[in-house]
Amino acid sequence: MLAISVMNGLVIGVIYALAALGVSLVVGIMNVINFAHGELYILAGYFSFLFASTLGMPFAPAMGLAVALVFLFGLLIERLLIRPTYGNDMYSLILTFILSIVLQNAFLLIFGPYPNKPPLWVRGASEIFGLFSYGNQRLAALVSGAALIALVFLVLQKTWFGRIIRATSQDRAMAEWNGVNTTRLNMLSFGLGCALAAAAGVILSPVFPVTPTAGVPIALTAFVVVVLGGMGSMWGCVVGGLLLGLVENLGAAFISSGYKNVFGFLILILVLLVRPSGLFGRAKL
Amino acid sequence: MKRHGKGMAIGLVLALAFCSAAWAQDTIKIGVVGPRTGPAAATGAAFDEGIKLAVEYVNGKGGVLGKKLEVAFEDTAGAPDKAASGFERLVTRDKVVMVLGESHSSSALAQIEVANRMKIPFIVVEAWADEITAKNYRYVFRAGPSNSGVVNQTIAQWVKAENFKRAFVVAENTDWGIGIGKLTENALAKAGIPYESMITERNSQDHYVELTKIKAFKPDVVLAYIYGVGLHYFVAQAGETGVSPQAVVLDGAGPPSLWPDYWKNVGDYGDLECFVSSMHEKVELTPLAKLFREAYTKKFGKAPTDYKSRSIFDGILIAADAINRAKATDAEKLVEALEKTNLETTRGTAKFGLTPGGPDYHQWMPPMLVIQWQNKQQVVLYPPQAATGKLKR
Repeated sequence: MLAISVMNGLVIGVIYALAALGVSLVVGIMNVINFAHGELYILAGYFSFLFASTLGMPFAPAMGLAVALVFLFGLLIERLLIRPTYGNDMYSLILTFILSIVLQNAFLLIFGPYPNKPPLWVRGASEIFGLFSYGNQRLAALVSGAALIALVFLVLQKTWFGRIIRATSQDRAMAEWNGVNTTRLNMLSFGLGCALAAAAGVILSPVFPVTPTAGVPIALTAFVVVVLGGMGSMWGCVVGGLLLGLVENLGAAFISSGYKNVFGFLILILVLLVRPSGLFGRAKL
Repeated sequence: MKRHGKGMAIGLVLALAFCSAAWAQDTIKIGVVGPRTGPAAATGAAFDEGIKLAVEYVNGKGGVLGKKLEVAFEDTAGAPDKAASGFERLVTRDKVVMVLGESHSSSALAQIEVANRMKIPFIVVEAWADEITAKNYRYVFRAGPSNSGVVNQTIAQWVKAENFKRAFVVAENTDWGIGIGKLTENALAKAGIPYESMITERNSQDHYVELTKIKAFKPDVVLAYIYGVGLHYFVAQAGETGVSPQAVVLDGAGPPSLWPDYWKNVGDYGDLECFVSSMHEKVELTPLAKLFREAYTKKFGKAPTDYKSRSIFDGILIAADAINRAKATDAEKLVEALEKTNLETTRGTAKFGLTPGGPDYHQWMPPMLVIQWQNKQQVVLYPPQAATGKLKR
């Protein structure tokens, strides 16, 4: 029981972290909370389903195309909805909230109420060290999710673009004085945040089918992870996501599965009582 | 010219007002509540289909009290607060004479309070919690399954008939899930069948840990009371973790196993899964059931799958029949007429219980079937007189 709980906690934790990274990136750079984050995850899942299942594309290009389209959609949202609200965080909050409702209803209208999922990359299940049986698609999601998180950190730490992001996150004015076009960076960061939500969506939709309203709990969990890890902290997202995944699964295994979500909120309250700014505070990117 | 224009505008407004008033007088409105959004939005789609067919059927037979029957729908999203306010909106804004529908027990439990307070007859069609009718509210009826009816008449009998040795009960943490789970435990205890049980989070997508606990118990049947997409996750993950096919999984809610994307979501793990349903193409209890199937296939170009389309169809027929017999839309007369209902529907003859003191008051329990997917074909297992095949493991 312990082994599968830990394994499952890690898988779910990586998924949580991936979904939260996009939120954290946008909060860190723009100080904007994107309430439609979960719906962008769902949108990518639907695109992936549409391209792979309906149009018959191989799953990898279908996923890539889905992420690219959501990235472009993110750029459009930033240009049309977020940019005019700079200076007033409340407006962007309300606008993205409205966007989430509009998207939910659009999904319902276009795709209907039934769950949809793209084809599995791998079928069946594997015995893990002879201890338990585990779905191959979940294992694939774990590997690809971890690889994607590693790639995000690599880009942030080792590339010129990453350096600009970190600089702007630390001191926007100073970055501007050094020639960073922060307006364009905002747009790219928002698009990238949406693309991260989309990446989580395409990786997970073969495991957890998408429905019009399934984005709500995803966004909620992502926000919990971001607050748990510390607003704007990318490392906080990873640690927060893994912690949440492990606590939920161990709690369900050894206390009660009916209160799975309560354990997540309990750990959040406990952490915030000890460290009000989250595990990694206002850590630098 | 200007004066002429003004006069014409006033005339047009008056004509429109007159037309809409005349139109309003030509129809009698009833309300339907159900989830068009949320995790069980598919039920709303099934309700929509059933409503279309029922309205055509009733109006084709002369309508109600010589007027056309009209249906106003309120989305409840599976949320009790929305359900209660939606019910109230139907009464105050749409002026409906009766309300029917709902498929979430938590929502229905909120709605019956509104029905009782506003004195509006309410026929619940697919919310199963016993408390809905056990409260013995004068204005509340149920023309559909109840938890105790489904467990005691169908599921527990099937478990005994198949001679299962060890059962595991998994119930979602809702009024319906907790209620039906408890009733199942009582029935299993009474039958002397060893069992264990657990409550699962309604919106959970991940059941691996729970399934590992289930596997350790080594049951030969898992009675899963999980409604909505969650059932798809459960069935697929039961296969991945090796719980099935060692144990037979029964979907105690039914429709999720019949939704169009069931097979896409659960893959091969969906085969040999069992579910409860009140509908099967080879088991038509009345001529009206055959008529419904034909009308449905003609209108929607596919065979009916989600039996809730037929449940709401029956509900509307019962409502229309009561209005016609009451010869009025007055709530008290409608309640009296509903109490005297004796109407052939697609699921048998509807007749409400009149003995107060328990959940059978104002309750009509239609017969339910246990069906198994065998090579993607539905095989009826229970009751024996309706069986089209035997359980495969």
